[in-house]
Amino acid sequence: MSEAKSYKAVILCRSCDLVIRKRALPSNVRALCPRCDTALYDTPYCSINGLLALCITALLLFLPANLLPVLEIHFLGSIRTTTAYEAAIEVWVQGYWVVGLAVLISAVIAPALLILSVLLQVLIVKLNLCSPFWQSIFLQLLKKHGLLSQLTMLEIYVISFLVSAFQLSDFSDVYFGMGTLSFTLLFIAMLFLQREYNLEHMWSYVHDEQ
Amino acid sequence: MMSNNQTRPANHNETSARTTLESLAPQGKKLGICLCPTCKKVNSLTLTHCIRCKTKLSTRNYASVQQSWALLITAIILLVLANVYPITLLTNRGVVTNDTIFSGIAHLIHTGMIPIAIIVFTASILVPWLKIIGLSLYLCAISFKIPISKRKMMIGFHIIEWIGRWSMLDLFVISLTVALVNMGQLLDAKPAPAATAFALVILLTQLSAKVLDTRLLWDRLETHNDTN
Repeated sequence: MSEAKSYKAVILCRSCDLVIRKRALPSNVRALCPRCDTALYDTPYCSINGLLALCITALLLFLPANLLPVLEIHFLGSIRTTTAYEAAIEVWVQGYWVVGLAVLISAVIAPALLILSVLLQVLIVKLNLCSPFWQSIFLQLLKKHGLLSQLTMLEIYVISFLVSAFQLSDFSDVYFGMGTLSFTLLFIAMLFLQREYNLEHMWSYVHDEQ
Repeated sequence: MMSNNQTRPANHNETSARTTLESLAPQGKKLGICLCPTCKKVNSLTLTHCIRCKTKLSTRNYASVQQSWALLITAIILLVLANVYPITLLTNRGVVTNDTIFSGIAHLIHTGMIPIAIIVFTASILVPWLKIIGLSLYLCAISFKIPISKRKMMIGFHIIEWIGRWSMLDLFVISLTVALVNMGQLLDAKPAPAATAFALVILLTQLSAKVLDTRLLWDRLETHNDTN
């Protein structure tokens, strides 16, 4: 423990294991590894209140984005609508459950979990809950954060309903609704949420027990 | 080779600061410290678990090269299947047509939707192939000790990690199309076997890049020259 403490001024590059002396950086400056150009750290500016506001916005947008239809087509008088969830289940029902599951996780489940996870983290930090129970939850949430943010693919989904709209407009009339708007706004809220969030900064809130 | 305290502009509004501690040792392994794989805290090698997040520590994961190879080879086989077999099945007024990834794009170009064709081509052909070629090069460089510029390899690796998820675009489009276009014999779209293969290609290549311990490439710093 004492040995580890003496290395406080030193960090290692996670890609190439180079030893680098950590020094204070001005804002808007990012430290890169001199050997392999991996981004190492930047000035942790992470406003907890800003994160809370973005979390609540995202949470409010999440319901209309997933309950209202994102796309609507009119073809020879018949109307078809779909939401992100229904589209995933439709593929699943037709026997392609791998595809259905991939779509469901990256467009619905992972974003929902990510919003809830960040909300819970923010509340734990803001309300200063330092009982072992809350601290262990905080630890688990931080550990899963990287995976969750990698699985969240809202930006790709937004592009994909534009691509589908163009493809379908070949033989039918395509309409966007409130669901499309909510989904796009949800994507924007999540984009800023993930930009504002700094995992390294969040780790610094963990109380070392030893 | 590299200078201390050098700053240089990186992006539009960001500048990067560079500091090294060459006087001590190049690799953290020699100093007896290692980085926690989960929370990026510097730990002493005498510890077995990270002091902050209790993750198991290890200096290098030597098995990761084999794991990465295994995942990559499976992905290559599946990528061939994904390109050969049809990915969607379209029924238009009783006429059934099978579309592979490539014929779908050819159809888009034919109907004059060039920008959409470029997006789909990038997401479903260019990105998976680039990812597989890039990862194979990277793994070859580690396994067969090929003297390729490590720095360029690393930049390529970061691009692969970032760009890989965009392949999901095709699957999203398929799921939306299948859910919307279901009017029986008149007009009906269904997914076809290549969709599953394609989904697995994305999963396996992402895993292959994630599982690999990139520090293994840099351990051979002394044996090969590293300038650029």
